[in-house]
Amino acid sequence: MVFASIFTPSPQVSCPKATSPIIRRSIRCGFSPVSAQFDLKTYWTSLIKEIDQKLDEAIPVQYPQQIYEAMRYSVLAKGAKRAPPVMCVAACEIFGGDRQAAFPTACALEMVHAASLIHDDLPCMDDDPSRRGQPSNHTKFGVDMAILAGDALFPLGFRHIVSHTPTDLIPEARLIRVVAEIARAVGSTGMAAGQFMDLEGGPNAVDFVQEKKFGEMGQCSAVCGGLLAGASDDEIQHLRQYGQAVGVLYQVVDDILEAKSRVEIKGGDNRTAKSYVSAYGVEKAMEVAEDLKSQAKRALDGLEKYGERVMPLYSFVDYAADRGFSIGESV
Amino acid sequence: MIHTMSLIHDDLPCMDNDALRRGKPTNHIVFGEETAVLAGDALLSLAFQHVAISTRNVLPRRVVQAIAELGSAVGSQGLVAGQIVDICSEGKQIGLDELEYIHVHKTSVLLEAAVVCGALMGGGHAIQVRSLRKYARCIGLLFQVVDDILDVTKSSEELGKTAGKDLESDKATYPKLMGLEKAKEFVIRLADKAMEELSGFDVVTSAPLYHLANYIAYRQN
Repeated sequence: MVFASIFTPSPQVSCPKATSPIIRRSIRCGFSPVSAQFDLKTYWTSLIKEIDQKLDEAIPVQYPQQIYEAMRYSVLAKGAKRAPPVMCVAACEIFGGDRQAAFPTACALEMVHAASLIHDDLPCMDDDPSRRGQPSNHTKFGVDMAILAGDALFPLGFRHIVSHTPTDLIPEARLIRVVAEIARAVGSTGMAAGQFMDLEGGPNAVDFVQEKKFGEMGQCSAVCGGLLAGASDDEIQHLRQYGQAVGVLYQVVDDILEAKSRVEIKGGDNRTAKSYVSAYGVEKAMEVAEDLKSQAKRALDGLEKYGERVMPLYSFVDYAADRGFSIGESV
Repeated sequence: MIHTMSLIHDDLPCMDNDALRRGKPTNHIVFGEETAVLAGDALLSLAFQHVAISTRNVLPRRVVQAIAELGSAVGSQGLVAGQIVDICSEGKQIGLDELEYIHVHKTSVLLEAAVVCGALMGGGHAIQVRSLRKYARCIGLLFQVVDDILDVTKSSEELGKTAGKDLESDKATYPKLMGLEKAKEFVIRLADKAMEELSGFDVVTSAPLYHLANYIAYRQN
């Protein structure tokens, strides 16, 4: 693996190291001959550092302390990959957007992502006592505090976007579109629908659940980046298709890795019956993943004119499929 | 939508554990806890989506200010803060300051946001918005003080929600801390202060807010 020699294993990583690609490499379906040489790991880790710092500044502890501690516990959890914020920044930069202008939105995406995970883990929902190898929010702070921490993180996200994005760089009209996009993605036609069907839907709900629970966040992150930078409607559509495909791809590969591994992954997502692996088996799931990989790359073909600027998002597809190196423990 | 979602979540078993709201079984009783949690979450995001998508003929700058205002009111500096301090002070002796903090954050802040957002959308300038914010702060507190008084003096049927809960749970209330008579005087002072903040506005256009303050002060449920 290209990055194996520079990767320093961290004690928190419990994902089995792949010795060969998880998904067989398809014939080159991207347009760029240099994609394999893009240093995604460095790009990503340096972005994570900046995002972590901004998140830390965005949620200072004030009175009443308990709620801020609960919020920070989940948002600043060690090992978080920050995929939504990184995708947002990468998408924004494709169109020449300034990453400083994208950071508040990137942080907001992480906040709402954390909020939805906190609520997902609740006893009345997926009932997960741990997340990322640590006690889940309600286990540590109590169910009431966890519900409220989630309730606080959603609006904080929206507020953070409008209060921290420099309006000399991004016109207010675009901020409004970003808020609308995130609200849609987490709401009753997006992630909430996915979670509901995950809990209540029948066995045929697999596609719906995967798309809504995982595709939405990917879609939303990429689209927000494009919206901030003033991308055209057509370009936004490409980002949407990319984000949807890569979001689901990431989760399907997680499920495949877990199924293939002999070591139980502690603290991972609760695998319900509504994953492709549980519903259709590993072989079929791998086909689905291959298909999603192609879809994601095809969507980026539509942004060909931006040349190398598409590299980060393009490389991320390969990373999602192959996990050639390790970044933290989980999304 | 935001008000409703906060009530849905407040009523949950792990929070205030209320089986009755507005004369009907609470959301989680009818639909189950997980649906109630998700319904609250979905309403919260729908609120922001709705403001962003459906607001017409208002400068983007003002819509953005409204979103900031709502974001502030709902979260850890608003509704959530009030609920947290309320939960943490249960079973403890708290003073008037803390009680006021709870009520300002659980009730006033959202009313403030409502009034401020209305003023922003309507084209109000900063000083006008500030007066209306103070008006809302008064009636928000007023609402809670009257609520406390009614809990002591009325039955469940008349109220439309479970009565006598405060007495039963030994929760701090204005009548308990001030005495019933002083609490009633406080109601009058708050109502007067609210009206005062409206005095700079046109009598006709501010009439609804004027009468709203009266209604909140002198309602029976």
